[in-house]
Amino acid sequence: MSSSKAKMWEKKMRHQPTSVQYSSTPNGGDAPVSGTYLWWSMCRLCADCVQTVCRLCAGGAFARARAAEVSAMLKAVNRTTGKCHVFGSLPKHMRRRAMSHNTKRLPLRLRDRANRMSLKAGSKKEPAKNKSRKARRRHGNMLLEFNRRQRKNVWLETHIWHAKRFIMVKKWGYCLGHRPTNKCYRPCYRAMNSHCLLQDHSYYCCIELQGEESTLLASLSRLTSKEAGPTFAAAMTLSGQRQGSVVVYRAGQYPLQPLGPVTFLWRPQIQGSTIRQLWIWAHPTIKKDLLPELQTVCECCEAVVPSINLMGTPAEVVPTTECEQKPNETPEAKQITGTKRKKTCKDATGPPTKKIIGDGTRSPTTPITWKSSSTGVIINDLTMEMVRFRLIGPQSLTVLSETLETAGVHKSKPSSLWWSEQCKDESKRSLHQEQSDIYRLLKGIHLTGELPPGTVLGLTVEDPRLTLPTKKVVALPHVKQSEEKSRELMLKGVPKHCCQSYLWERSVRDNVTENKISEQELNRRRSEMLVPGSRLTPTPPQSRIPILLVHQPGKQVGCEMMSWGAGWDLLLPKGWGMAFWVPLVYRGVRIGGLNMSLKHSQIKGVPHFPHDYPDCPSGVAFQEEQEAELLKTFKRRPPAKRTNYIKHGCLAPFRCPWQQLAEEWEPIRWNRERRKTVRSKQRQSVTSFSLHDLLNCHEWISAAFMLSRNRKSLRLLSGWCRPTTSKGQRPCRVGDQPPLNHSAVMSFLTAHRMSLVWVRLSTLSKGKPEPHAMVCVPTAEDLQLLNKGPGSSGPQEPPHGDHFKSRIKHKKKGLRKAATSSLSEMSHLSASEPKPSSSKEPDPSQSSSDLTFGLWPDPLPRVTSHCCRLTLGWATQGDFSLSVGCGEALGFVCVAGLLKTLSNQPMEHRGMLLLRNPTSLHYRFVKLTIEV
Amino acid sequence: MWKGVGLQAKINREKQEMDPVEYTLRKRLPRKLPKRRNDVYVNMKTDFRAQLARCQKLLESGGHREICVHGLGLAINRAINIALQLQASSQGMLQLAANTSTVELVDDLEPEDPDEAGEPMTRTRNNSAIHIKVFYPDPQ
Repeated sequence: MSSSKAKMWEKKMRHQPTSVQYSSTPNGGDAPVSGTYLWWSMCRLCADCVQTVCRLCAGGAFARARAAEVSAMLKAVNRTTGKCHVFGSLPKHMRRRAMSHNTKRLPLRLRDRANRMSLKAGSKKEPAKNKSRKARRRHGNMLLEFNRRQRKNVWLETHIWHAKRFIMVKKWGYCLGHRPTNKCYRPCYRAMNSHCLLQDHSYYCCIELQGEESTLLASLSRLTSKEAGPTFAAAMTLSGQRQGSVVVYRAGQYPLQPLGPVTFLWRPQIQGSTIRQLWIWAHPTIKKDLLPELQTVCECCEAVVPSINLMGTPAEVVPTTECEQKPNETPEAKQITGTKRKKTCKDATGPPTKKIIGDGTRSPTTPITWKSSSTGVIINDLTMEMVRFRLIGPQSLTVLSETLETAGVHKSKPSSLWWSEQCKDESKRSLHQEQSDIYRLLKGIHLTGELPPGTVLGLTVEDPRLTLPTKKVVALPHVKQSEEKSRELMLKGVPKHCCQSYLWERSVRDNVTENKISEQELNRRRSEMLVPGSRLTPTPPQSRIPILLVHQPGKQVGCEMMSWGAGWDLLLPKGWGMAFWVPLVYRGVRIGGLNMSLKHSQIKGVPHFPHDYPDCPSGVAFQEEQEAELLKTFKRRPPAKRTNYIKHGCLAPFRCPWQQLAEEWEPIRWNRERRKTVRSKQRQSVTSFSLHDLLNCHEWISAAFMLSRNRKSLRLLSGWCRPTTSKGQRPCRVGDQPPLNHSAVMSFLTAHRMSLVWVRLSTLSKGKPEPHAMVCVPTAEDLQLLNKGPGSSGPQEPPHGDHFKSRIKHKKKGLRKAATSSLSEMSHLSASEPKPSSSKEPDPSQSSSDLTFGLWPDPLPRVTSHCCRLTLGWATQGDFSLSVGCGEALGFVCVAGLLKTLSNQPMEHRGMLLLRNPTSLHYRFVKLTIEV
Repeated sequence: MWKGVGLQAKINREKQEMDPVEYTLRKRLPRKLPKRRNDVYVNMKTDFRAQLARCQKLLESGGHREICVHGLGLAINRAINIALQLQASSQGMLQLAANTSTVELVDDLEPEDPDEAGEPMTRTRNNSAIHIKVFYPDPQ
């Protein structure tokens, strides 16, 4: 009680002037005159001190001091204490709950003041209130908001469609759909297998090169090598009839420093022109490395700064030369059309209320064109200039043919639209006729895999929105019996001139994008029709779109499930994405996200970018990201509930230390060699390699590992891996391949130092491989197990001890002790204690700062010989394969280790390896195949 | 369902023996016609018993009066085997009617060194196929 009283007293005294002391001046409230009088009488009484008092206090000053006191006192009485609410002036027993919200709970005399105060407080909050939902949902405002939100990560044109149905991830500067929110893993697989799966691949970047064919080829040949397969110069792709794919390296660096896989497409030669056009489609993470590389090999360093004066021109038909900046790129160039609000900005700097089509993240002055004065090559960055949809599955052609109709030729009056211009020319009309004939023939072909791989067809089609079915339907094939013509098409592919498309021309693309009929306008016209639901006639002249259809070959390697996952890519001018997307969806296709692309390449058995390119810069970055992410999820669990990877003998559960693996296999190989050399020297005194090579091996070890992409050597390896009897039935003919013997291995290894090779592993009986599973070498006893029967499971790894557990415990204890600062020697003890137990471990206590329970700390011991079976490599992907019906893993193994293993294995068990998941102690038998 | 073909034909190797370095052979899928529910395409990869069981299921519980068993190349033997097994297990209820045909298959020959060799070639070859109708004869 006393303390609360003291507090009250303090509160009251807070605003008192410091000079005021009630106790010392009890007469402070008196009139000044009487005060002086009193003082005066006192002075008379003690005459001896008169002199001093008169010096101290003059009458006026004294009066002023009293007046100040009085006014302070009045103020203190009138005012409530501090910033408190009015009810602060009420005694405690009169206060009620929620008085601050409801002023009616206050006594009447205070209500007025309370109202005033609440008004004052409320007025501050008012502007922070959001706009009403209605205002926010207004078209212009929404577009502004959308444009703001995609400043960092670009949206694809189908973004909003995807965002409603997919789990979106921000990757590579784009917002991409990762996987659908509904459960559809198996339906998506089934769609790929028997119907059609649709994906938006518009995030792939396109780089356009223009120039003389010979100069282009000469400069591009520095980026690739013939050894790794067809290059940019392959005859079939050069004519423009086929799409090609190639792995690009840094200029002149093959086989080191790869950048990644790209696909490319040449424009068919135009008569009377020597300038060729080439599109290179690359993953966005490759682009940032590829573009400078292209600029150096083509000597294109002159950046063409986009002209600013174009900004004011209305965006319509712009016959652009290549050096001009597209008006669409500049947001300022957007004409603000159809905005009803008054807000339409008068100054040009105001934000545009039009949707940004294309790449909105790029600033308008960033150069996208580079040209060379010496070679005349022009490089254009066409990122987000085109839309690319991928249809996977045997029925994708059926879906396409139901959705797209070839454009009708119209002979109406000339207009600014590109199609009517083209229709004037007789040759162009006949070309269009031929293309539509071929398209009609394609409809009769049942399977996508029946066509030559990589076929290209240029077309001009009508707006698919016009033929949109009212209900979702499932496209079914209409197969005609094979005719002579369709047979020829299947054999020879599309003739060269029919691969031409107007999509290659920038002016046409821009024209089509600009003149697109809006959805609203289309709906208005539909509503005006007499019979609801019938087709819009006559077809609006704007709706003719040039497209390119590019065949995607399916599985081409190996000898099983050939051409699985074949499909078509649909290339469109930008702005038309949704107009084609929705009609395709209405034909009963499934939509897949990024994870389905991964599955697609996994079933096809090809490396997926960037997951399976550990030697490319983007592959390395991906691995680091993945490790960080997995580590984060791992650490989120309480230590007692975590998998103890140390006990499982798994050194790196979240990454694959390829470099260390390759390095460790080198000495193993060379030690063996040295021994054998000595032995063979004794025997024959003739050796195929000198000791000089052995001395050089140290410098090889310092080199970086690389992936073997040389076709010939891969074919050789693949022959060696094959068991001589397949399923124990018939001997496999190896052909003219050299047999696997010592000299062959040696010559192979000298050519491929520190290299890894892409392999496919399928389990024999049980087991579902997981990513980062270890590929191990079986011992002779293990192979004996295999003889017992197909159902025999593999060997077990004895559990490892966790030396770090005690150290973590001690460290924790030591920390606690140190915190209480009671025993400092305890921490010394803990540091010194584990040393004898871990003397053979490479990790002393210096790295104990980042010890994580269950994970091996950073300087790893030897990865190859850590477990009881030697490690050959790791699986980068692994899952139960729905197409084969057993577990399948894809990964890399070390070539040196693989050859050593193979040469030690008996003929009937060639290519049998062991696979162990990071979370398991059980080895499973797998069959290794290298598919070329 | 013609998947079995890829395994057996082995023309791949023969071709490589002819011109070992210049060309890689890629076989395309055989032409496919739409499948009815009572069509069974026999391959060499699936287990024999499973394929037989599938045919039996179609005839007995599937409610089909007739099924068609197709086999191509090496799978002809197996198709005949399946049809005969079906007939034997039905105690003479089922009858067979076999037809043979020739299927044209397409191979792509990709030049190994694409820059010089020029055009990739396509080649057609023929393979035999059998179509066996297995049916319950109509009661007279």
